[in-house]
Amino acid sequence: MEKTFFIVHPKLIEISWPAKISKDILFEQLAWKDFLEKHYGKKLEEARLGFNTLSLAFLDKTHLYEWDIVFHHLLSIKADDNTYQGSCWIVPVCYEKPFAKDLSFVAENHNMTENQVIQLHSERPYLLHFYGFLPGFMYLGGLNEGLYTPRKSSPDRMIKAGSVAIGGEQTGIYPCESPGGWQVIGRSPLSFFDIGQKIPTKPQIGDEVKFEPISVEKFKFLQEQVPNPHYEWQHD
Amino acid sequence: MIKEPGQITFFQPGILTTVQDQGRKKMSHFGIPYAGAMDQFSYFKANQILSNQEGSACLEMTLMGPEMGFESETQIVFTGATAVITQNGVEVPMGKILQIKAGDRVKVIRFEKGQWLYMGIKGGIESELIGGSRSFYDGITRKSKISKGDKLFYLSDPKPFVPVNSYAKIKADWFGTDTIQVFKGPEWRFLTKSQQEILTQKPFTLSKLQNRMGIHLNEAVINTLSEILTAPVYPGTVQLTPSGKPIVLMRDAQVTGGYPRILHVCDSSLNVLSQKRPGEKIVFSLI
Repeated sequence: MEKTFFIVHPKLIEISWPAKISKDILFEQLAWKDFLEKHYGKKLEEARLGFNTLSLAFLDKTHLYEWDIVFHHLLSIKADDNTYQGSCWIVPVCYEKPFAKDLSFVAENHNMTENQVIQLHSERPYLLHFYGFLPGFMYLGGLNEGLYTPRKSSPDRMIKAGSVAIGGEQTGIYPCESPGGWQVIGRSPLSFFDIGQKIPTKPQIGDEVKFEPISVEKFKFLQEQVPNPHYEWQHD
Repeated sequence: MIKEPGQITFFQPGILTTVQDQGRKKMSHFGIPYAGAMDQFSYFKANQILSNQEGSACLEMTLMGPEMGFESETQIVFTGATAVITQNGVEVPMGKILQIKAGDRVKVIRFEKGQWLYMGIKGGIESELIGGSRSFYDGITRKSKISKGDKLFYLSDPKPFVPVNSYAKIKADWFGTDTIQVFKGPEWRFLTKSQQEILTQKPFTLSKLQNRMGIHLNEAVINTLSEILTAPVYPGTVQLTPSGKPIVLMRDAQVTGGYPRILHVCDSSLNVLSQKRPGEKIVFSLI
């Protein structure tokens, strides 16, 4: 995989991987980020991920000759499969009415039954690449190509917290109420962002998320359990 | 020296009055924006005049300011946008330390020039500290803006105030320049030469579509770039939207975006830009 860098300004450098969403890229990004935080932690204000980018904000100006040495060292770091052992978090989702208002559209769009959409959406785990858009909004990789669905031309004014949706080649969960243009196919009773916790999100970058279809009854049951501080997320 | 908690009570909240500081820079990996004072220069200045610790929280106000009462003695200073301000009905200068006595009322009457006004207070505002910052942000801090009747706390400073006759006058024309200095953004190189020339030679007008997240510009360049895989964006990132109209991201910017990032406004020019009003023109100049 070819890696290049671009200096936006002396305190902001962006490293790029080939433009695709892949597990290999993510694990290499994490290995590089880990190395930089260990060795340049004091100079580094933050290291932020995109799907194929690692953006580095430095506290002081970085000289090109200095950066060249660092970059060449980074090139020698390979992410081996054992570097990151992520958890696989189970996210219960009710794909039924009234939580799945655009499910029929998505099914029709692909000449599928609603059950086939649910099956394809929940059969395999997704990889958490990074958080963005809203606090606690997960950028997940791994949506089945058969489910790619265009975003709405005019966004919904309000999408409820916990809504599970498809937008283009991605799927995601709205952590809070927000306007949005994605097709809503279900809702999870879990809470995806709590600023009151020391770590406000359960899944961490590099972890997996698997959707588990549940009934409306189970949704309502869990909805009452979730605010309980002893409620535990399930993971494999 | 014993410091006692004092409080500011808001009789009128103003249109968008918030607590701001240098921003929340260590939590972007949870998708949390930096936030922070729109005009970091004037924010910094307010603390500097009061000899506050760097990073002390100030009050940020815009266009329609608040009316507030102080419970106990302290010192305050106003910086940023030029505004008419009164203390107990008497007009007071900007950029000068004002001695506040218990029961004093301070009112921002009107803004004359610029958009963002800062009130520094001795020792800083003591609102909730989350992720190393007190900057208000919806969903992160309990309040996203000050409402009528709200109270904010500060540590009262009983140290006798020595009046200073000379004070640092800040020229209000520091944000008068129309030149906005920019770096090339990561997707700059995918633009054609003529697109690059238009972006750095033609004036752009600030539209009414603007808030703490970003400022939309009115003029469009023909956009031939496709969207990118979602990538990091920062305050200062200039995105090219599908319509060809650029957006300059400001302090409350989301942490990632999918529009091409064509330019990056340098921090001092971002402060200048924040103080400009809709209809004003700017020219991007490459550094």
